[in-house]
Amino acid sequence: MVKDNATPENLAKATTEEIKRINPLIPMKAKVTKIIEETPDVKTFYISKEENGQMVVPFHTAPGQLAMLSLPGVGEAMFSATDAPDHLQLSIKKVGTLTDELHEIVPGQTVGIRGPYGNGFPMDQIKGKNVLFIAGGIGLAPVRTAVRYCVDHRDDFAKLHLVYGSRSPADLVFQYDLFETWPAVRDFQVSVTVDRGDDNWKGNVGFVPAFLEELKPNPDNTVCIICGPPIMIKFTLGILDKLGFTAENVITTLEMRMKCGIGKCGRCNIGSCYICLDGPVFTLAEMKKMPNEY
Amino acid sequence: MKAFPKAKLQEVLKTLASKGTLYVPALVDETHRYYPYRADIQVSLEQNSAISPKEIFFPSTEKIYNFTAYGIDGDYEEILPDRTACVLFGVRSCDMQAILCMDDVFLTRGYIDEYYATRREGATIVALGCSKAGADCFCSSMGLNPVEHEGADAQLYDLGDYYGIQGRTEKGEKVVEALAVAGLLSESSAEVLVPEEFVLQVDSEGIAEKLQAMFEHSLWDQLWRKCINCGTCTYLCPTCHCFDISEKKKNQHCGVKIKCWDSCMFNEYAMMAGGHNPRPSKKEKVRQRFMHKLRYFPERYGKYQCTGCGRCIAKCPVNLEITDVINQVREAKVNG
Repeated sequence: MVKDNATPENLAKATTEEIKRINPLIPMKAKVTKIIEETPDVKTFYISKEENGQMVVPFHTAPGQLAMLSLPGVGEAMFSATDAPDHLQLSIKKVGTLTDELHEIVPGQTVGIRGPYGNGFPMDQIKGKNVLFIAGGIGLAPVRTAVRYCVDHRDDFAKLHLVYGSRSPADLVFQYDLFETWPAVRDFQVSVTVDRGDDNWKGNVGFVPAFLEELKPNPDNTVCIICGPPIMIKFTLGILDKLGFTAENVITTLEMRMKCGIGKCGRCNIGSCYICLDGPVFTLAEMKKMPNEY
Repeated sequence: MKAFPKAKLQEVLKTLASKGTLYVPALVDETHRYYPYRADIQVSLEQNSAISPKEIFFPSTEKIYNFTAYGIDGDYEEILPDRTACVLFGVRSCDMQAILCMDDVFLTRGYIDEYYATRREGATIVALGCSKAGADCFCSSMGLNPVEHEGADAQLYDLGDYYGIQGRTEKGEKVVEALAVAGLLSESSAEVLVPEEFVLQVDSEGIAEKLQAMFEHSLWDQLWRKCINCGTCTYLCPTCHCFDISEKKKNQHCGVKIKCWDSCMFNEYAMMAGGHNPRPSKKEKVRQRFMHKLRYFPERYGKYQCTGCGRCIAKCPVNLEITDVINQVREAKVNG
């Protein structure tokens, strides 16, 4: 499915011809043009750069690719980036020093951004197939990059199905997509669940793995893209296996701490793969060959 | 072979230093490392330097850019080192091999580290063949020839009372030419002195392949026990390339972004926001270090990331020796 990034043959293909002679560590000056409060602890930042008086996308990202966002004086971190015509969207959960600070900023704020980084989802190889998306919590951010691609290229794919869960209705991110945009797309089933409902919640209550088992998606000619908290992934993979999904047809993203984003600083390795360069997207089959250290 | 008398070493160094920056292994305040040559410096070619020349291309700390802080219309100003030529004199085979490992990391695979590249491109490396092996040296076990390294621009050979010199590249030939022009070179037919058998030897053949199946091996359950995660091994290692990127605020509005050596021995190294650490205990950290050197790096770049310089063996406070690890891997039963 995805190219086996770890093999020496593939790594050797990255020859000097592909080398970009720019200083890859210097961020591009960009501006936050819009901030959407998705949930109490998740915000989506629209980021553009100014070019000849117009706000344009800083750089384009393929589905699943990453961008390094920085607040000078605070820090820098890697996030999944969603490509849009004139901006990038970064959906960021408040979890640490940098993200706490990011949640305080207002539109108009200057930030630094560099990228795109990583391999991205193998959308070309999924063409013509059914796609089952599974996400938990903020894991919908990377999955959404693939969903948007499939929606934008609707005729290239067969049936689409998203199974998404969060802790509570208030923690559902991208509700405008979940309940408005995506249900209106042809042959796109959107199944949403929450761990605990509230007075207004009429949808499913329960964890993603159990919900998935109930929904029984058909594995025939279907590729599954799954992102979420490790515990959800762990139990969902068991269900996918039971349903008949092969490891080659299950794709996920891995997360490690990153600093340089260009495969030099060392820390994001899992075995001989650098997640910033060779990842973050891997098939389950590839992951089974990697050391279990993430 | 062209050669110069060892007695004329100072004249040779003066000649080279007159053409540009010359780095030589020297003793200053009892620290043996590479310093820019000065007439009054105590040059020491008797044994390899305690600190490897990696810091010339990859300093322990360097500024990478200035920034003006957010909130106002911030901007970034690149800080690149000067693109000046320099000569490194007396680099041993182990450290030459280490520079090639660093080249792989910083100059290939899609991106060039401009800070490393700027320094590296202007450098001419004059290697020095070893005529005796130190007590902790094991380069021959890691597949290197202590007497010469083909990656060098020019090679010095120990001929007893003379140093023989051969240019290998255009840059290296220029060094030889400069010495010839200064009238320092003569012909010598003396035999190149070579080290006697190494005291420290280890069989590294096939270790990378064997380690592929040993990530979960019980070997790792014991190896880490004496490690104190001090990071000395990684800082002294001529091939360890991990770095951190951090920043320092100069005032409320401006600051500087800094690249500095990091170590897989430290807890913050792989710790993610939110507190998850994929390598939480000493066991995972120690395993990462040895697996990186002996398995991951060979898989990625086709060579061991240990060149047998022996610095980590010499300075490890708890004697956790890589040669011992290699021996244990060799003897280990896979599936055990």
